[in-house]
Amino acid sequence: MNPEAALLNNYLIVGAMLFGIGMIGFLSRRNMIVMFLAAEMMLQGVSLTLVAFARFHNDYGGQMLVVFVIAVAACEAAIALALVLMLVRRSGKLDVAVWHALREADQPAFAEEEPPEEPAEPQEPSPQLTQAGLTPEIPREETEYRPRV
Amino acid sequence: MTGPQATLILATALGAVGMWQLLPRAGARGKLLGAACLAVALGLWASRMPLLADWVQSGLFFILAGVTIVAAVATVTMRNPVYCAIWFGMTLLGTAGLLLLAGAEFLAVATIVVYAGAILVTFLFVLMLAQTEGRAWYDRSAWEALVSAVAGIVIVGLLSVTTSGVLLAKGDKAAERAAAKRVAAERAAAERAAAIAAEGKGDRPAAERVLAAERVLAELRKAAERAAAIAAAAEGKGDRQADDGVLAEHHVARFGAELFGRHLIAIEVAGTLLLAALVGAAAIVSQTRDGRTSGEDSP
Repeated sequence: MNPEAALLNNYLIVGAMLFGIGMIGFLSRRNMIVMFLAAEMMLQGVSLTLVAFARFHNDYGGQMLVVFVIAVAACEAAIALALVLMLVRRSGKLDVAVWHALREADQPAFAEEEPPEEPAEPQEPSPQLTQAGLTPEIPREETEYRPRV
Repeated sequence: MTGPQATLILATALGAVGMWQLLPRAGARGKLLGAACLAVALGLWASRMPLLADWVQSGLFFILAGVTIVAAVATVTMRNPVYCAIWFGMTLLGTAGLLLLAGAEFLAVATIVVYAGAILVTFLFVLMLAQTEGRAWYDRSAWEALVSAVAGIVIVGLLSVTTSGVLLAKGDKAAERAAAKRVAAERAAAERAAAIAAEGKGDRPAAERVLAAERVLAELRKAAERAAAIAAAAEGKGDRQADDGVLAEHHVARFGAELFGRHLIAIEVAGTLLLAALVGAAAIVSQTRDGRTSGEDSP
């Protein structure tokens, strides 16, 4: 095998590995930020492949495509992070499973595995006060809304 | 089943087991077993990669590729998202090194500036803003770790088997074709020379015979040059460094000329896209919970 074909072969395999590892991360992780990092990693794999082909064919086309991949990745990151920030403001969590209500109508609901019981810290008993008047009803949204996130 | 394919299939199986063990599953993680399996799988993959032109290039490539892949695995398997982002930075540095090695100087610098300098820092900002206290359960339980690990690594295995098979076969065929061409060229030259020599025989004056002999010599020399050129083309070297390809001396200047010459409209569209994304991001973030934008006066 001549050296140029060997270079192309090795770069293609490394690009495929980056793409595959990014795909694993995107499919399995639940943290929205880590999912976006994995998506960016898939883009990196594709960029490596394109540059290797540009080198092999001695043509600038592949490198031009990578420039546009970088520009689109920057746009995607800006929009995605704005959306993540919005979602975190509403739910207080980076977990995508919070948004399982957006699923299709015929899909089963997400069943959360119960986290193992962590040893609770001993709390001081709160002072008992005589109750006066009615307990105000606070809507659930209000308690979960975190204005300063 | 032949040897090389068996190696790649073994590497795929080991890699899938390693990724599955490394991914956080319901709080549990087989760190040692996963790392060992992945190391063996990467070694098997590397054993199927051919060496490059010289040992400097080979060494640089394998070191950079190893750093990139190990950092990528750490990015998707770390439980703390801040560590994920930092390992992703390492992946980006490795990728930039690989781009530099492949002759894409401008893209290597752009990757570091745009990705590591801007995008990654934005990710870290959002992480710090949104980080919940303590260890979150959703960072310690991956979804369908086994299925996704098998799916991802099987894709890598299939792609590597295909590329190696195609490129190896193609390289061999190209070499065979070049050899056949060279033989044909040499034979044609010999026939031509024989014909000229036959023409030169007989009872002709000595001067004509000398001229014919010179023509024979010239033909032979030309044939040898052509054969050498074909051999160089098959080797993949040629005079590629000398012409104005991607490895030319003034790479960035040529890159810019290409970008702003042939792809000018695409550049304008990309700039517009960036502006639209900026406006969109600002519009999304400035909304409050009731759907009003924060700039409006409250009633």
